[in-house]
Amino acid sequence: MREEASRKYLARWLAHLYPREWRARYGREFAALLDDTNLTWRDLFGVTAGALRMRLRKGGNYAMQETTPLVRLLDMACRDVPQGYELESSVEFTTHAGNKTLVRSFCRQIDLGDSYVRIDHRSRGTDPAQTYIVFGTKGEVDGDFRTDQTEMLALRADGTVQRTEQTVKTWLKYDAILDRMRIKLRSGMTADEIFRQFRAQS
Amino acid sequence: MSDPTLLVLASLADGDKHGYAMMVDIQRFAGVRLGPGTLYGAITRLEQRGWIRPLKAAQDRRQPYTLSGDGRRYLEEQLSELNQIVRTGRRRLKHA
Repeated sequence: MREEASRKYLARWLAHLYPREWRARYGREFAALLDDTNLTWRDLFGVTAGALRMRLRKGGNYAMQETTPLVRLLDMACRDVPQGYELESSVEFTTHAGNKTLVRSFCRQIDLGDSYVRIDHRSRGTDPAQTYIVFGTKGEVDGDFRTDQTEMLALRADGTVQRTEQTVKTWLKYDAILDRMRIKLRSGMTADEIFRQFRAQS
Repeated sequence: MSDPTLLVLASLADGDKHGYAMMVDIQRFAGVRLGPGTLYGAITRLEQRGWIRPLKAAQDRRQPYTLSGDGRRYLEEQLSELNQIVRTGRRRLKHA
């Protein structure tokens, strides 16, 4: 009996290892579960492991809901073009103060076998639009990722061009997920709904 | 079947429950004891994905959860996939 009481005391203490945002959302009900359960030493290990996992996922959705503005997909169109695709989207961001910003983008990616070219054209609110042209050379594949060498030209609104070379990791599943999602995304979806679609597909 | 998220969804398919009730139910129907850390890891993931949601009527600290429409659809998809694996496995064992 004394041993069980000490396990409960230890479990309540270990529960403090969870991230603050998680405790704010689940702490009360989690403490109730710890009180109800006849805890084993293995459970204490599970509580510790759970806290570590939540810390690794800190910044996950339970925290995002309090800090991010409302995001709404107004329009999206995805078209197949020879050896690639085109993607157009309009997304509206609303801050907690009620200010709205419209972000519109157009992207076209063409696959050239060992390399690819991508054109990105974006505008945000009343800021001048910018165009990015990326030339990528496909590199080594490691699991779901590929390491590419890219050269990016940023065409600024003032007429200047900025050139950047970098090594980037490309997630290979992105295209497959985009392909499956394009038929499911529709106008008026919120970021949360898109996030759920994404999680369900991945 | 030992995936905690599927076990929680299967438990809630039978009616709304709080954490301890889920734990007892899962042990009864699946013979698996989910510890509090594992159970709340699954609850957190499921709520983030919109497959379960908390009910507002909680009078005490125990928070009941209910299955959402998306959660029900996901569970049905997963169970039919598992069913397909079971059917294939049984058929192959019969012919082995």
